Amino acid sequence: MNFFKGIIDRFKQGSTATKLSFLVSGYGNFTRGQLIKGLIYLLIQLGFIAFMVLSPRVNDTPFGIQSLLNLQFLGTNPGDIFTNADNSLLMLLFGVVTIGVIGLFIINYLSNTKSSYYLDTVLAKGKKPNSFNQDLKLLLDERFHILLLTPSFIAATVFTILPTLFMILIAFTNFDVNHQPPGQLFTWVGFQNFIDIFDGSSEISVRFIPVLSWTLIWAVIATFSNYFAGILLAMLINQKSVKIKTFWRTVFVLTIATPQFISLLAVRNLLSLDGPINQLFLSLGLISEKMEFLTGATVDANVARTSILFINLWVGIPYTMLMTSGILMNIPKDLYEAATVDGANRSTIFFKITLPYIIFVTTPYLITSFIGNITSFNIIYLLTGGGPAVPGGYIAGQTDLLVTWLYKLTVEQNNYNLGSVIGIITFILTATGTLITYRRSKTYKEEEAFQA
Amino acid sequence: MNKKILMLAFSATAIVTLAGCGGPKPLLIWVGTESEAFYKTVMEEYVAAYEVENGEKFPHAIRVVGTDATAAAKFVQDPEAGADILQIPHDNLGKLIAGSSVIGPITDETLLEAIYENSPESFHEVIKGSVGGTEYTFGVPIIAQSLVLYYNKKFVNETQVQTWEGLLEAARNASSVGDVKQAMMLVGEDGYNNSFLLLGMDATTKESSLRLYENKDITDNYALGDDTVARMKWGQRFFTDPNGAVRPTSSGWQVALKDEFVLSTISGAWHGKAIQTALGSNYGVARLPQFTITEADAYGTVTAGTVMQSGTFADTKMLVMKKNSPKAEFLQDILLHLSSPEIQEASFVDADNLPAYKNAAVEFESMATNDLAKKQIEMFEFGRPQPFGASAVFNFYYYSKGAPALLMEILINQDVSSPADGIGDFSTNAAILAQLQKIQNIWITGNATPPA
Repeated sequence: MNFFKGIIDRFKQGSTATKLSFLVSGYGNFTRGQLIKGLIYLLIQLGFIAFMVLSPRVNDTPFGIQSLLNLQFLGTNPGDIFTNADNSLLMLLFGVVTIGVIGLFIINYLSNTKSSYYLDTVLAKGKKPNSFNQDLKLLLDERFHILLLTPSFIAATVFTILPTLFMILIAFTNFDVNHQPPGQLFTWVGFQNFIDIFDGSSEISVRFIPVLSWTLIWAVIATFSNYFAGILLAMLINQKSVKIKTFWRTVFVLTIATPQFISLLAVRNLLSLDGPINQLFLSLGLISEKMEFLTGATVDANVARTSILFINLWVGIPYTMLMTSGILMNIPKDLYEAATVDGANRSTIFFKITLPYIIFVTTPYLITSFIGNITSFNIIYLLTGGGPAVPGGYIAGQTDLLVTWLYKLTVEQNNYNLGSVIGIITFILTATGTLITYRRSKTYKEEEAFQA
Repeated sequence: MNKKILMLAFSATAIVTLAGCGGPKPLLIWVGTESEAFYKTVMEEYVAAYEVENGEKFPHAIRVVGTDATAAAKFVQDPEAGADILQIPHDNLGKLIAGSSVIGPITDETLLEAIYENSPESFHEVIKGSVGGTEYTFGVPIIAQSLVLYYNKKFVNETQVQTWEGLLEAARNASSVGDVKQAMMLVGEDGYNNSFLLLGMDATTKESSLRLYENKDITDNYALGDDTVARMKWGQRFFTDPNGAVRPTSSGWQVALKDEFVLSTISGAWHGKAIQTALGSNYGVARLPQFTITEADAYGTVTAGTVMQSGTFADTKMLVMKKNSPKAEFLQDILLHLSSPEIQEASFVDADNLPAYKNAAVEFESMATNDLAKKQIEMFEFGRPQPFGASAVFNFYYYSKGAPALLMEILINQDVSSPADGIGDFSTNAAILAQLQKIQNIWITGNATPPA
């Protein structure tokens, strides 16, 4: 409300020049001798008006006002063999871009009125308005943050906010395998794609709960197994009795040093039907005949799931181990000394000092790790490809996570609308989980604790 | 000073980035990766010949780029960025002509005449498609392909390789305690690689009751014929025999061939070099074997002693052109050149591409000594082009809705998908028929059990 009040106040309390700058950008600057600055504001306004009115076309699809009108139906001309159909995808994209341009113009427009109002106050104090050179110097000096932040802000708008908005909007269309632009049109379907999750007939409704459940199970087990195994390993290496600690750390860090996809593909080969692990297990008598661990026509879903959890452990432990090693070395020694003086034994010291300290410091890491595991694409896609398949011709296999299912729905099946719905649900899950967990953690509540 | 340097660096980066954009677009041709170098040379010669013939330079730069099997999918997503001419498997036509089509019809009379004069009759239907109720010719066949049998000459002689029973005998002979050899391993369980029995036919009459999207009609499918049941019963014995056929494993068929676990595999020319590497001097290639229906397999009108021939999809890769390309006036002449018998033979010599020219086996001297080519051409006698090009839905239903897995269940005699349906495994004719009915339903509706 203050935002709008500020604008209204500027109009009410501003000079005539400021009032006119609400109509003609840069007017307030022109009349106070700031010609270049005024010209920039004016050119931006004229450019914006031209952009909106002339509606420039790219690939035969307009921007500007026309693109906003196109958002209503996302195209009506189905085309024929010799002429192109309306491109629904570009219409949606250009509509979103135009909304972004309008947003950026509004910011510039308000900046223009603010600038003029500021000049009013400067003149009222009997001072002289800045010249263009002085403004530039200010931009390179005390207002340098604005100069640096502006490109970042524009980049965030163009590369993050608008694509996110675009992706969200696709969830409300029928942009699927049967509605592929530019040959075919797609249009708005409201909340139909979300309703489809619960109607029980489509793949997304039949497979959603199983895939979601496995995603959460995977994320919880993968996160905590890595976390605690990493801590244990770090503590083991930090034991006084362990020699050449650096060597042991280096050995485990080698997993990190190797690109993950190479490690994963190597492990997949190790675990193949005729691979060394099968041979080893056979010779040790652990199995009576060769078995599939990850892929292959006869692999069991539970075996595949267990296998990827173990492989994830192998890949993930070094990260936790490294981080925890650092933390362990930084726990104030006086805490241990005081505990020892008070007669605490080793397990009491661990549970009362070491573990709380590690958890306090690593809660944000734990949360990011959990989120990372929910969207853990590489491990699943490279090791099992989401398989084994679920009988019945479903796209989502028995080790597919929401994110790998999303990939298959979009890249392999061209069902972008369903992919977008899955994306939104994944975002809601991760965002909600993160917020709740973090706000309830000691890291958030007791920010000052453990600080020297 | 530092700020100025920062600004300079920022500006320089922006200028360099912007300077990288723009410039006239070349005439872009997408071909198979394996043929990229060959077609580059061909187009260089074409441009040179154009200059001699017309007394002026070819007006566009030409760029030949190698792509994989996903070319059609990539093109559909962004035709503007796609090639002016692209090579696709013929069954991808449906997705390109959906709606108002993103590729243009062939209209040049000379080219149309050459297409229908030079290509085998079985290709004539699959290069056409219907847009807006009118049928057009879109594709120019340049490459043919079919499945053949690759086998290990060390264990299988030329008589044995004529029949699956012979291969089975060879596997039994080569096996010993602790070293069980299998007659054949599938390279994949998809509807392409596991189709040799489904597409099989009477070896004498070359007839089969199987109907698969006949007349480009989604309802014209039939999988319940006596001969299909008999082939499935024979196949079941073959896949459940200890030395019979095996499903793909996680180790891969290359390892299985190289380590002599299996004696043969079914695949196309695209795997020829890999198989040669795996088998070395024992490399052999043959047409897909025949097999004889026994008392145990006989069903209905198909009696014991009937000799069946394994079948294959016999496909073409064809060139299509972008709809409304700015270089449209040059494209059909290029297509005429690239599909000429001379270029097809050169492509065969240079890149092992089997010609789609109907008289190639007789007229091309280069083919006389090439076993792989000869066997593929022999298989064309028992092949049918994949009938999925008329609509993207055909392809999707046949391959992606679970029918291949149901077919495999019959062959391995295990009911994985619906163990609780009371039918049991597939030891009875009724159970096999019920499963074939499900497969047929999927081909027509996408569901094994269509909604009432």
